[in-house]
Order: sequence, then C-alpha cells, then structure tokens
Amino acid sequence: MNVSSAETWLHKINPSLKLFVLIVLCMVALFIKDLNYMINVTMGVLLLFLCFSGHPLNRILLLSIPFCFIFLSTSSAMILFGQGETLWFKWGLISITEESFMRGLLVGFRALLFAVLGLTFSLTTRPVNLFYSLMQQVKLKPKYAYSFMAALRLIPIMLEEFQTIRNAMRVRGVERKKGIRSLYFKMKAYSIPLLSGSIRRAHRIAVAMEAKRFSDTRNRTYYYEFGFSKNDHGFILYFVILLLAGLYLSVQFPYLSI
Amino acid sequence: MRKGLKLTDILVTIVIAVAFGIVYILWGSIYYSVKPLGLHVDQLIYGMWFIAGPVAFLVMRKPGVALLAEIAAASGEFFLGSPWGLTVLLYGVVQGLFAELVFMAFRYKKFNMSVAVLAAIASCVGSVLMDFAYGEIGALSLWNLLLFMIARFIGSIFFAGVFAYYLVKVLEATGVTNLVRPVSSKDYAALDQK
Amino acid sequence: MERIAFVEKLRLKFPGDESLIFKDLSVSFDKGEKVLLLGPSGCGKSTLLQVLSGLIPHSIEVPMKAKELESPSSWGYVFQDPDSQFCMPFADEEIAFVLENLSVPKQQMNERIHNHIRQVGLHLDDIHTSIDTLSGGMKQRLAIASVLALEPEVIFLDEPTAMLDPVGTKEIWDVLKEIGKDKTVIIVEHKIDHVLEFIERIVLFNDNGQIIADGPKDIILSLYKNKMKEHGIWFPGVWDEYIHDHAPIREQREFNDGGPIMQMQGFRGFRKKEEKIMVEELQIHSGEWIVIRGENGAGKSTLLHALMQFIKTNGYYELMGTSIKKVKNLTDNMTFVFQNPEFQFVANSVYEEIAYSLRIDKKPPQEIEERVHALLEVFHLTAHRDKHPFQLSMGQKRRLSVAASIVKEKKIILLDEPTFGQDSKNTFALLEWFEEYRKRGITVIMVTHDDHISKNFATRIWTVKDGKVISDEKISKQLAFLETEVLSL
Repeated sequence: MNVSSAETWLHKINPSLKLFVLIVLCMVALFIKDLNYMINVTMGVLLLFLCFSGHPLNRILLLSIPFCFIFLSTSSAMILFGQGETLWFKWGLISITEESFMRGLLVGFRALLFAVLGLTFSLTTRPVNLFYSLMQQVKLKPKYAYSFMAALRLIPIMLEEFQTIRNAMRVRGVERKKGIRSLYFKMKAYSIPLLSGSIRRAHRIAVAMEAKRFSDTRNRTYYYEFGFSKNDHGFILYFVILLLAGLYLSVQFPYLSI
Repeated sequence: MRKGLKLTDILVTIVIAVAFGIVYILWGSIYYSVKPLGLHVDQLIYGMWFIAGPVAFLVMRKPGVALLAEIAAASGEFFLGSPWGLTVLLYGVVQGLFAELVFMAFRYKKFNMSVAVLAAIASCVGSVLMDFAYGEIGALSLWNLLLFMIARFIGSIFFAGVFAYYLVKVLEATGVTNLVRPVSSKDYAALDQK
Repeated sequence: MERIAFVEKLRLKFPGDESLIFKDLSVSFDKGEKVLLLGPSGCGKSTLLQVLSGLIPHSIEVPMKAKELESPSSWGYVFQDPDSQFCMPFADEEIAFVLENLSVPKQQMNERIHNHIRQVGLHLDDIHTSIDTLSGGMKQRLAIASVLALEPEVIFLDEPTAMLDPVGTKEIWDVLKEIGKDKTVIIVEHKIDHVLEFIERIVLFNDNGQIIADGPKDIILSLYKNKMKEHGIWFPGVWDEYIHDHAPIREQREFNDGGPIMQMQGFRGFRKKEEKIMVEELQIHSGEWIVIRGENGAGKSTLLHALMQFIKTNGYYELMGTSIKKVKNLTDNMTFVFQNPEFQFVANSVYEEIAYSLRIDKKPPQEIEERVHALLEVFHLTAHRDKHPFQLSMGQKRRLSVAASIVKEKKIILLDEPTFGQDSKNTFALLEWFEEYRKRGITVIMVTHDDHISKNFATRIWTVKDGKVISDEKISKQLAFLETEVLSL
C-alpha cells in the first residue's frame, strides 16, 4: 500500500522471511481445531497489527472494519446450516446447534487471523523490497521479480482507466440497458478496453525494459541489498512463543468449554 | 518446446492477471453483499475468481501462463491490501495449478471452449479441496453442501469457461493477441514472396 | 565516414497482415549523424528503428530477414508513451534498474543516478520521487536519463514528444540537443519544428514503406513539401499555409440563438472531497466554440468532467433551462469525446459502433442505415465499416469516436484534446467538421493546448488556472484577429 507510515521493527524484517513465517503460520492455523487456541493465536497477531504496523490509530481502526464483516460472513453460514447434536434453535431450514456454533466461531476466527496477517504484511512491506529480497534470498528469477514490480506500478494507472471507462460507458448509454443479456454486454464493454490496453502497455514496457539491457542473468548487482538481522530472530521468536504460550493458556485457562 | 517464458510473456500475463485482480476486488464486494443471504447464492458468482488463468492461457497460448496468471491475480489482491490477504494467495496457487494441468493434458494445443470449461471445472475442484482443508464446508448438512457445490460449479463453468472463451474471441478481433502469440511459420514463409 | 548502423534488403511482415511492410529496404547511418525519418503514419518508421536497434527480433517476435544488418554496439531508445517505459515506481529506482542491468556496483549507483538526473535537468528535491507525481515532460526527462545511464553511442528517438504539450515538447528537445551533440541520433517524429535545427539529413518514406528521398534536410524540405503536406506531417508553417488557403473561415462566427443553454454560478467540482475546479459565473449559448486553455494540472479536464457530472459538484448549474439535479439523462443533450478513443468503443465493428446509440433508442432500421451511412461517408470510414474499432489507425479511431458521439445530434459536444497526437491532415479535417456542426447551432467545448485552434477557430476562450476559470474572452465577429473583448472574472 502506498501510504506513508512510521517505520517499526516490523518494517525492518527481511521481507522473504516475513512472508515465509506468515505462510507457515497460515498452514499451522489450518490444523488448529481448538477454538480457545485459535482465539489466543488470533489475539497475538492482532496485537502486532494494532501496535507495530506504524500507521496512525485512526487508519488502523478504519482498516479493521472489514474484519468484523469477514468474521460474521464466514461464520454465519456454518452457524446457521452446520450439522450438530445439541440443538439450540430451529426455524425452517436454519438450525443452530452447539457444535455448529462453535465450529462457526472457529472458522470465523481463522478467517480473521488470515486477514490480519495479510494486512499486517502489506502494511509493513514495500512490494519492491519483497521482490528484491526474493531475488536475493530465494533466488527468484529477475524476469519474474521485475515483471511483478512493473505490473504493480500499473495498478493506479489501470484503476484510473477503469474509472474513465466507467464514465465513457455512461456517456454511451451502456448503463441504460437492462436484463441478463445486458450484463454480458456490460462485462464485455468494461473488460475489452481494459484488457487490450493493458496487454499493449505491458508489451511496450517489456520491450522498453529490454531496450535498457535487462536480461535474465543472475550476476546483476542490486540497488537494495537485504540480509538478516536481530529483528528477524525476534520475529521468529515472537511466533514460537505465541504458538506455545497460546497452547498452554488454552489448556489451562479456556474461555469456552467444548 | 521453447525454453521457459520470455520477459514479454511474463509481464503480459501478470498484467492481465492484475487487471482481473482489480475486477476481483469489485467482485468481492458483490460477493460479500450476497453471502449473508445464505443458501449459497454467492457461490453462483464465485467462478469469476477462476477467470484469469483461462483468459491468460487462451490469449497467450503458452505453457505455464495459467498458473502464473492465477498466482499473480491473487498476489495483486494481496498487495492492494485485500482483507482476504494470504488466503487468496494460497487459493490462487491451487486454482492455477489445477487449470494448468488441464491445458497441459491437451499439450497446450487446444484453445476451444471445451478446454476452457474443463479448466474452469478443474479450478473449481481445486477451490473445493481448499475449502475442505480450510474446514469451511466439511460439516455442512448434506443438502446444503450439494447446493453449495452445484452453485459453484455452474458459476465456474459460466464465468471462467464460457465467458472467458468469448472474451478472448473479442480480444482476438481487436488484434491485440497478435502481439503476444507465437508467430506461425506461415508468416515466416511469406517473407520469401516475390 | 564510419558506418555505425545499416541494413540491406530488409524484409519484414507483421503476423496476420496481408503484405510485407518492408520489401528489400536498404539504409545506412554514419557515426555522429543526426537523421530524421519522416513519412505517413503506419509506414514503418518506428519498426525500422526497432530493427536497427535489434529490438526486432530479439525482444519483439516479428518475421523478418535481411541480407546484411548491423546494429550499433551501444545504443539507447526513448519511446513515445511516458507511462509505458518504466518498470519501477520511483525515479532513482528506474535509473538503478539500468545500472543493475549493467552490473554497476551498488556503491557507485547513487552518484551516477544523481549525475544522470542532473544531466537532463530534472530538478527533484529527492531522487527517491514517485514517478506517478511527475508531469509527462518530466517523465520523458527521466526516460532520457535512464538512456544516458547506458552510455550509448547511438540514440534512437521514437516520437519522444508525441504525448507532450508544446512547452514540454520544446523542453525535451532542448535537453536532447544538448546530450545528443556528440552522438549519433536517429529520430522518428511528426512535429518537426524543434527537430529541424538539430538534424542534417532527412529520410522520407511513402505509404508502402519505401524510401522516396534521402538527403540533406534543406533539399528534402524544399523539394518534397507537398508530399509532406499530403502525409500530414507537421512541418513548420503548416498552419500559416492552411489559414492562407482557407481565408474565410473566420467569417460569420456568431450564431444567433434564443438565450443561454447552459448556466453556472458558484459551481464547484470535487475529486476525493477536494475542490478541484470553481466557476464563478458563466453562460453558454448555442453555436459557440469554446476553447479551454491552461497549464498542465490547472483543472481543464476536471472542468469538463464537472460539466458531464463525472465528479461530484455543487453550486448552481442549469442545462437547457433545467437545474442539473432534475436532469434525468444528461447524455441526451450533451456528449463527451475522450482523449483515448478506445475507452468509449463498445461494439465489434465500425458500423455498429456508430449505430449503437440509435439502436438503444430503437430507431427504425431504415433510419439507422441512412444515418450511419452518411456519417461513415463524412468521416471517411466507409472502407473500414466492418473492421473492429480497435484495428483502426490512430486517426481513424479518433474520427470514429467523434462520429459515434454525435450520431444523435447532441446540442453540446465536449472534447478533451481531440487533436492530440493527430497528424495535420486529420487535425484540419476534424476542425472543419466541428466548425460545420457549430454553424448548425451545436456548442463545441474543447480542452486543447494548441494555440492555433484558439486563434483560428474558437469564438470564446476560457483560461483555467489553479482550479479556477480566471478569464473568459469572447472573440467578436469578423474582427477576430484585431479585437478581443476581455471579461475578467
């Protein structure tokens, strides 16, 4: 995201390592079936997000609004339609059981965890840094890394184009058409200029990059160089402690009995 | 076989994917506004998330493109700060891989609607597997689960298969696909005309 | 003289095209030469630059072969679109990208980046500046700076100022002349005012990609002036000749009407909740030709967007006697021609594109056929009626976008830089059509940087500065050249 913020220790962590740790944590979360444990882990990640993203509190709160929505929408289907033994409430097709309720909460918290992890990452990592680090630490091929960076630069341009197309469609009266067939027509009318313009632009940029002697050799030098530091150790330690302490606490002091 | 994708191929694929990434975000807001309705109405439009792979492959006609496109679309969403963050990234890899396998099965030589539809179905299967792993749907009652699957498959076939195919047909008419497709030997032969 | 780049018997064909674009073309360039390649659009000049540099076939796969071909050992290439030649988000990173490609050690990068940025006169407070915040002219300077990082012997310039306003164009050429002094420079350009004093030699092409003349610039200019006019090249004095040949265009500028069709008072337009444009009071009558002038970023396009209600506005704004809040379908009376025509194309053929608005209104087929046919004729598109709109040339696309916008005879037509990037032939044709419509009572409102248009076609000129319309100048009947009535706001 392209908004200014203060730098915290989270910004200083090696981007490849940060991404790797977060993905591992996501994998781990897929195997957590205990609601109490899930809540503890989520809280630990939320703490990082709230305190160390380096962004002002009001922006943090604004960005948190979709979290509630995600939590509700993810858990509601399971709560309302899931299977279970202990029936709490039944109305037509809807049946809420204790098991479905708990499972709904578990799924909701997991979605919340993923969302917070993802946002914490994107708030504290410049994509350019991530790709430079991926080239240096993970040996990602430069042709992929620079293509991603070039494409990211185009996002604002494409958003603006999308807005222009929307205006143009209004002028042409496309919005006035109604019905299912017009839906197809509209989707086509929006995507064709956007896609064909983007393809041509991407092609031109690739040619321009090669005109600047880009080649996929590995012996290039780097403007930004990344290594590892104490912050990286701290980061790993934080999650190890979180996973262990969270487990301990969930066994010793459960919020909900299941 | 050619050796890997060239810079142009990669960049064009990623940009196609990013364009869909923008569409996905708008689509996400539609999706989450119908999701609380229950009864899986939302699943009918879920298939839109599989469209980047088939479109990129049908445009470029090169190996590896469908997988790359899905990953790129997902990461585009990721970098834009979509609250689905990492989830989309994981789903993207699996969906892209499944679509890619279909194109590979046809040795990257078929570009018709059936292949697009098969790739869409494969992506859909991939996403359902992910959903089971994610634990979202395994415990739904049977009638509800069936409804869910049928809705998602129908949506996938429509958006990522049929619509993707027609979209690329129109793109061909605009002439832009000539830029990125492999050049035929017929075109080279034409150089020797009188 | 030492040859630095040449090609002999070049054959080249674009995939899907019927015929060859070059058939046995030969041309050669000496070290230190400054050469201009001239010709009608689509004749293959840019393609030739790409072949000479080796971009074709190395980066762009196009079927080609040549008996002999030599590319310079070191070269740089400046492209026309400032937005599609960078791959990094910040200015320093873009130049660093080039240095990385050349394996320059990290320790030397900072100094070299500063040097190159200084060489092109790009004044940045911080070299780590987002490219998105730069103007078109500054972006092109950055493009030149990154070319300099390559330390090239030969510089290829592919219409480097096509997307720039007159001020930016002049600045870029000043930079290019300075840095190109001791290098070989091969240029493709349509707007040749600033180029002529820099070059020595002109190579002239015809429509079929053949060289029809190659020699010292003065000789080519004097012998082939008519050819250039025919090709729509903006050679110096093309406007003077046009005005000379069309002397009476200034007559009968006024169109009598019954009251204003558009009124504004305390009218403001907002982008992201910020006020971006303000109009204190203005009235517009039918049959006026209003040119909106102002610097880049002053708010000219924003004003058009406010009038079209693309952005949020407040204050008083009345259209055809109805307050804008009560106007249901604004686009019934008013239309907008976008700078990039492709954005407004919706149909799969030229014919359907024009017919589209009529079909929405369910007009009888007979009438549609007649109206579309007539417009195809007027805008010289009949031969292309079945083509996909995206397949047209730049000039044809622009004409089609205008034709499709006015098919329903709207009362007001808004245009954002309609002559931008167009050759002189197309520009004059468009201006004549607008004048034709204006005479019929249609109001033309256009944003343009071209002072010739304001001087020779406008009946009224608005100047926008810092988000405000600061002057409204009415050019009165027949005396246009001598007298202007200035209403300061």
